[in-house]
Amino acid sequence: MYNQILQDALFAAIAAIGFSAISRPPRRAYIYCALVAAAGHSLRYILMNFTPEMHIIPATLIASFVIGCLAVMVSAVARFPAETCLFPALLPMIPGIYAYRTFGGIALSLLSEKNDEFTHYFDLFAYNGMMSAGILTCMVTGATLPIFIFKKISFQATR
Amino acid sequence: MTSKTLTNSEVPSASELTLFLSRYSARLLGSGATCIRLEKNIGRIAKAFGHETELTIMPRHIHISVWKEGATGIITSIARVSHTAVSFNTNTRLSELSWEIADGKISFDEAQERFSHIIDSDTQNKWHVLILVALANASFCRLFGGDLTAMAVVAVATLAGYYLKMILLGHGVDNRVMILTCSFVSAVLGASDILFRLGSTPSVALATSVLYLVPGIPFLNSFSDMLYRHYLCAFSRFADALVMTCCLSIGLCAAMLLMESGMF
Repeated sequence: MYNQILQDALFAAIAAIGFSAISRPPRRAYIYCALVAAAGHSLRYILMNFTPEMHIIPATLIASFVIGCLAVMVSAVARFPAETCLFPALLPMIPGIYAYRTFGGIALSLLSEKNDEFTHYFDLFAYNGMMSAGILTCMVTGATLPIFIFKKISFQATR
Repeated sequence: MTSKTLTNSEVPSASELTLFLSRYSARLLGSGATCIRLEKNIGRIAKAFGHETELTIMPRHIHISVWKEGATGIITSIARVSHTAVSFNTNTRLSELSWEIADGKISFDEAQERFSHIIDSDTQNKWHVLILVALANASFCRLFGGDLTAMAVVAVATLAGYYLKMILLGHGVDNRVMILTCSFVSAVLGASDILFRLGSTPSVALATSVLYLVPGIPFLNSFSDMLYRHYLCAFSRFADALVMTCCLSIGLCAAMLLMESGMF
């Protein structure tokens, strides 16, 4: 169990470091991005896999909110805007497989020749599309709210 | 916190300040800052020099009006938002600059020099980024349950796709065309796991091969702008992100159809 959680945290941290490089953060931000991503993603892993087993959507909302709070706290210590940490830390939670199946569902619905086939693929498209939209909305909402709540800390971080 | 009172010779004229604020705001918004951060930074700088400001932030332009407290004349400027890559380093340093001005640590001339230095010194080693992104996407694959073979395939697909992205952006190719092309190339390479039956999780490799192109920052910024009632900018950023996601999906679907990869 601990091994799985640690592995999840490690890969989330590596993913966060790599993706943060795309948005050119200050050098000191890399380590914080990794730590915030590891904490957030492993929290979602624990919520989804251990007692009580939670659905991916509320688990994502809770983990994103924790990521947002951690990003605000870290920004005050490391003196960079909280947004610097948010995107790389959230990215490992992107519903990649659901999104992939959504697009696959669209493509196969369009190509299907029989009504049964079309209904099946459209069903898969609708389910995976709704899951992707739900997870994405929770991710963005949960992560952005702490910046809105802790305005004073968020906007004085670079002072 | 040390601060000093500005003498008359150190206070810029309204037109000088407006010009500086136009350049500052265009660059800050172009670097991926949210509207609320822009409003706060601009207001802070203007107040430090004894001026008031009003901003209208449009998706591609920023409209700034500056006036001296108690004076009747108003100067207005319209700046075009810079087309630059998202840079949180620039974002951080420009925010620091606004606080240094507000706390009276630097004069207007020094602020202008510092601004130019921040803009000119924002460089990054593209090869480091290429390797980091490939490693990140491979880790991503692992998080989605991919095996070692899938991770290796994703790393190669990302290296090729991201390298292509650098070349296309270097040639000034439109962002949407770039995303479509890169997602197609990465997905075709990602599908090699399915084609050659290399590992036990080929569909994970294909699904994760394009995720480095997800426009996460526009999505996040659009929600932040919505919270602060900058609906026009929020909608614009959301539409931008949606168009980029559609381009990514078209590239992915085209690759899936070309490679005849079964997914369910």
